[in-house]
Amino acid sequence: MNSVESNPIITVKNLQLAYGKHLVLKNVSFEVEQGHCLVVMGGSGCGKSTLLKSMIGLLEPIQGEICINGNMLWVDNSHGNKIAKEFGVLFQGGALWSSMTIHENVALPLGLHTDLADKEIEELVHYKLSLVGLSGFENFYPSQLSGGMKKRAGLARALALDPRILFFDEPSAGLDPITSKRLDDLITELKESLGMTFVVISHELASIFNIADDAIFLDAKLKTLLDRGTPRSLLDKSIHEEVVDFLTRNESSTN
Amino acid sequence: MENKSHNDGVEKNAMSIPGLEWKHEQGELFITLSGRWLLSCPERQQVLRKWQSLIKQARDIEIFHISCTEDVIWDSSLVIFIRNAMGEFELNKKKASLGYLPDGLPKLLQLSKERKTTKDKNVHEGLAEDFDKFTADLPNYFARPIEFIGAVIIACTELVSGRSVMRLGDLVESARKCGASALPIVTLISFLTGLTLAFVGSVQLEKFNAKIYVADLVSLAMVREMGALMVGIIMAGRTGASFAAELGNMKLNEEIDSLRTFGISPISFLVLPRTLALFLMTPLLTLYADIVGILGGLTVGTLVMNFSTVHYLEQTQSALTHMWEIYSGVTKSLVFGLIIGLVGCYKGMNSGPDSAALGKSVTSAVVVSITCIIVADALFEMIFSYLELR
Repeated sequence: MNSVESNPIITVKNLQLAYGKHLVLKNVSFEVEQGHCLVVMGGSGCGKSTLLKSMIGLLEPIQGEICINGNMLWVDNSHGNKIAKEFGVLFQGGALWSSMTIHENVALPLGLHTDLADKEIEELVHYKLSLVGLSGFENFYPSQLSGGMKKRAGLARALALDPRILFFDEPSAGLDPITSKRLDDLITELKESLGMTFVVISHELASIFNIADDAIFLDAKLKTLLDRGTPRSLLDKSIHEEVVDFLTRNESSTN
Repeated sequence: MENKSHNDGVEKNAMSIPGLEWKHEQGELFITLSGRWLLSCPERQQVLRKWQSLIKQARDIEIFHISCTEDVIWDSSLVIFIRNAMGEFELNKKKASLGYLPDGLPKLLQLSKERKTTKDKNVHEGLAEDFDKFTADLPNYFARPIEFIGAVIIACTELVSGRSVMRLGDLVESARKCGASALPIVTLISFLTGLTLAFVGSVQLEKFNAKIYVADLVSLAMVREMGALMVGIIMAGRTGASFAAELGNMKLNEEIDSLRTFGISPISFLVLPRTLALFLMTPLLTLYADIVGILGGLTVGTLVMNFSTVHYLEQTQSALTHMWEIYSGVTKSLVFGLIIGLVGCYKGMNSGPDSAALGKSVTSAVVVSITCIIVADALFEMIFSYLELR
């Protein structure tokens, strides 16, 4: 099941994650190829979001290493800002800064991490919001937007610094099927047009089959990575009952 | 009830309460449930007592069969009854089988069977567990605040060296919220404090024919103690709680995590402007409270004790000849502002993952702030006394 390509932009080796004494994941190793979309899947409580937290620098592993575009996460703090510019994150609820307008949300990272003039920032914000279909909503506050719009605004903010990698935490969660499909399409379009690498946490089968080039399956019982491959190959060839069960449980409805 | 009657009247009566019939056959007990098995039927308790006595009598029976009549009217009470009965049979190693059950009931029984989950059950094991948890967390109780204060100090050095991500606009906005917006409540409380001090003082001072010294009492008490303390308490309840709620909510919505992913320090971006604003605004509010408190005393002095305004103010001026009296209150208020800001932000940043934990953090922020303010106030008085500054 190991990938044969050799251009990984993210490498995770022997990762072990825990909350205090409670071990969540162990011996997790995988790579993400540049320009690919990797979906991290698994049942509730299997550690998907915990893995994401560690990959975006919010939870220090107790063992193992994460390498993002040649920079080792958690090893040298001086890389902090450099790594922060390498990736963007779309959190489950958008995580927009509620005291700021949508414009300010997107402009803040640009103001802090670049030397761009205000006018250029203005143009960039307008462009990023147009990309996600939120042009005209610059002066809205997050509380004035719907769930799907919040996610799109969060995506515009995640795209602000032109990162090479985007992390998504359950993009479909809490969205109706149509909005969810639109967000999936947006991910695919961005991947194709910008050549970005995506890591998506999801347990929505329709979404997984739509967007994933590659997928890994985390198992809650074994607390580790159980299998990896394309969703179709996992569905057809996986020797693990849990993986097949997971991928087939809603097959009739997704088809 | 043991035998179903075909008499209409009796049947009507039988149908209005839960029915429990049984019969012995070749060492086996056949139990039939009929009537209205509804939670709203008070007669259910009698039937349950009957059931308990039946089970006691039937200790020697090894095989049980439970079934329902076709016309049984039921809700969760019947499911619970059958579930408990089957559980009891299993516990006593008796054989049990289910006969006819109304549609839907077998499925509910199946669903309500305890299923194993991958997570440990959340069972509270009492005091020993609490103690174990407390001792395990003990280092964190000290380490986390120290770590937080360390991070604030680093953020301050970044601010001084011009490398901070703190925005001036955030500082001004926080100052407006905790300063100007607090003026009405500070005015009310300080005026009433001055008023109360004057009333209490006047009663005592009248005995010594020294009523005019009420101006000294009010002015000294306000500038030395009450101004800073009352502002501190108001700020703790108003601004400290608001900081904890605001930051706790931001944590809940992953806004703080999203700041971190952009390489933005939440301490510099969120904690510093709030704490700094409170640190700057509390002394100003204290000076304002001192003046309003003195005006409260003046109101009593002129309207109740019949002093002239000029006389009262001259007496106040003579009491406040040493500027240290005013500085000491302002010095205290600087520390109070810092305490409230840090405690409020710390509690918000370390709030739990749900809204209940957020409420707890807000309460804790207020309680800890007020306690710390009073302790700090006592320490200040001891230090001032030791240094002969009083």
